[in-house]
Amino acid sequence: MCGRWLARALAAAFAAGAVAGRAGAADVEVIKAGAVKSAIDLSGLRCSGEAGSVFQRTLENDLRLSGWFTIARGGAAVAADGTCAGGGGALRLDCQVRHASSGRVYVRRSDQGAADDARRMAHALADEIVRAVTGKRGIASTRIVTVGRRAGRKDIYMCDADGGNLRQITRDGVVCLAPSWSPTGEFIVYTAFLKGFPDVYRIDMNGFRRTRVAGYPGLNAGADVSPDGRRIVLTLSKDGNPDLYVLGLGGGQAARVTRTRFAAEASPSWSPDGRSIVFVSDNSGSPQLYVTGAGGGGYQRITLRGTENVAPDWGPDGRIAYSSRRGGKYRVCVIDQSGGGDTEIAADHADYEDPSWAPDGRHIVCSRTENYRSALVMLDTLGDSPIQLLAVEGDWYSPAWSP
Amino acid sequence: MRSDRLTVVAIGVACGIVLGAGCKTKQPRGVTQQDLLVPEVLEGDIALGERFEDGVRVTDIRVDNVLFAYDSFQIANAEVGKIEQAADYMRRNRGVRLVTEGHCDERGSREYNMALGEHRALAVRAYLVGLGIDGSRIQTRSYGEETPLDAGHGESAWRVNRRVEFALYK
Repeated sequence: MCGRWLARALAAAFAAGAVAGRAGAADVEVIKAGAVKSAIDLSGLRCSGEAGSVFQRTLENDLRLSGWFTIARGGAAVAADGTCAGGGGALRLDCQVRHASSGRVYVRRSDQGAADDARRMAHALADEIVRAVTGKRGIASTRIVTVGRRAGRKDIYMCDADGGNLRQITRDGVVCLAPSWSPTGEFIVYTAFLKGFPDVYRIDMNGFRRTRVAGYPGLNAGADVSPDGRRIVLTLSKDGNPDLYVLGLGGGQAARVTRTRFAAEASPSWSPDGRSIVFVSDNSGSPQLYVTGAGGGGYQRITLRGTENVAPDWGPDGRIAYSSRRGGKYRVCVIDQSGGGDTEIAADHADYEDPSWAPDGRHIVCSRTENYRSALVMLDTLGDSPIQLLAVEGDWYSPAWSP
Repeated sequence: MRSDRLTVVAIGVACGIVLGAGCKTKQPRGVTQQDLLVPEVLEGDIALGERFEDGVRVTDIRVDNVLFAYDSFQIANAEVGKIEQAADYMRRNRGVRLVTEGHCDERGSREYNMALGEHRALAVRAYLVGLGIDGSRIQTRSYGEETPLDAGHGESAWRVNRRVEFALYK
């Protein structure tokens, strides 16, 4: 297993070197080592009833998916004790997580809910353990929205970060694209052909009420919500060319950000401080990534490798994830806003596209396409192997990880 | 015979407009191929008018799709006749309106392909405006890579999927 992983990483390193062009292969860092983890022993947490076993399975899986833990029995650095009792339609949790040798308590938690809350309660405990033991932000309680194509119909779906609890958000069966979260998770924006043209809609995640936020003549697409939650940046063509505009969600005029008569702009993503925007432009003849100010002005190309560089997502810690076509395959890469530190995440022979950062700044969800079928996978920028998230019939793509 | 002569005249007029405008318009960077025409035939971009509600699809004419090279929105010489055919029909039928519908092949990102499809639709629209068709009669609509004509995955499918369709309404 380890040998195969290393071989794959080396192959990727060679491939990266071959297309690096003027930059030497030494500039391309291919991640190959898995992250350092703590062992946690959950056997002291006695779970009972159907809801209790759902809780236990979910907690174990969440801790694994966090990337910071391995599950062990005996000899682990961290141990959990207590009870999680399900029965009579309810679930009651009393537990304590300690450092095994010193006895220092990391987490003491009592919680109760309905049997249906088992997954939610497990996600909350997993995040608390990650925070207490590692000081990092957990992602178990976050969600992923995605486009799903099932039986030929495209709609927006949502699942938990572990791929469970899949829910269908829209039931329109029209072409829909590129969902994106508001910074507080209150709403998403996405593109859909509800009135025959591509318009941008907002769906409030509490109650799923939908409103149209951009319906100009021509194209309205690829919206991304600003960090203050009050504006979107998107592609409009109303003035005769596909360019980027910033539009207030409370109404008002769209302010033009780019002005490129012989190029199309797409896929904008705000920087965490709201001052800059990374986007795709084919100004050079092929789609590449550029960075500009949120108010417009000059722009700078940041990608030099790969025949196509698309679908940027500016992450919470300032790094930009994107999809790069290298050696005929799409690879997820991470780059600084200045174009430095370009890193390819080692992967197999499939195509990896449309990355979206998890709020931990470590993991990325993207689509993995093989033989024209697409699934969601979670990638790890610290080197753990990709993990498929949704094992449900259908094609899943354009995922967006909630804050 | 008579309509043939009319077509020739129309092409002559169209070429005159393109060449004439070419003198005034700065040649964009990177356009060097002789067989490609720059779709910009006027000064500046041509803003879209208000969307119109789709009427009844015209069935008495079928204009072949304008095809494009990979990642390109430029109209090749071989494709110009199709646009002229649509222009001719719109000149003869004043009440007819058009949506140019831009599409891409499955390669590339879905979001970028929405913009590229729109660019193709706008290029055909700009060409029609250059031929004297009122821009308020022409809307654009991009489907990106979402609705391929040929569901296959090879070059022969991609070639027909990189297209602009003429959706004529009366």
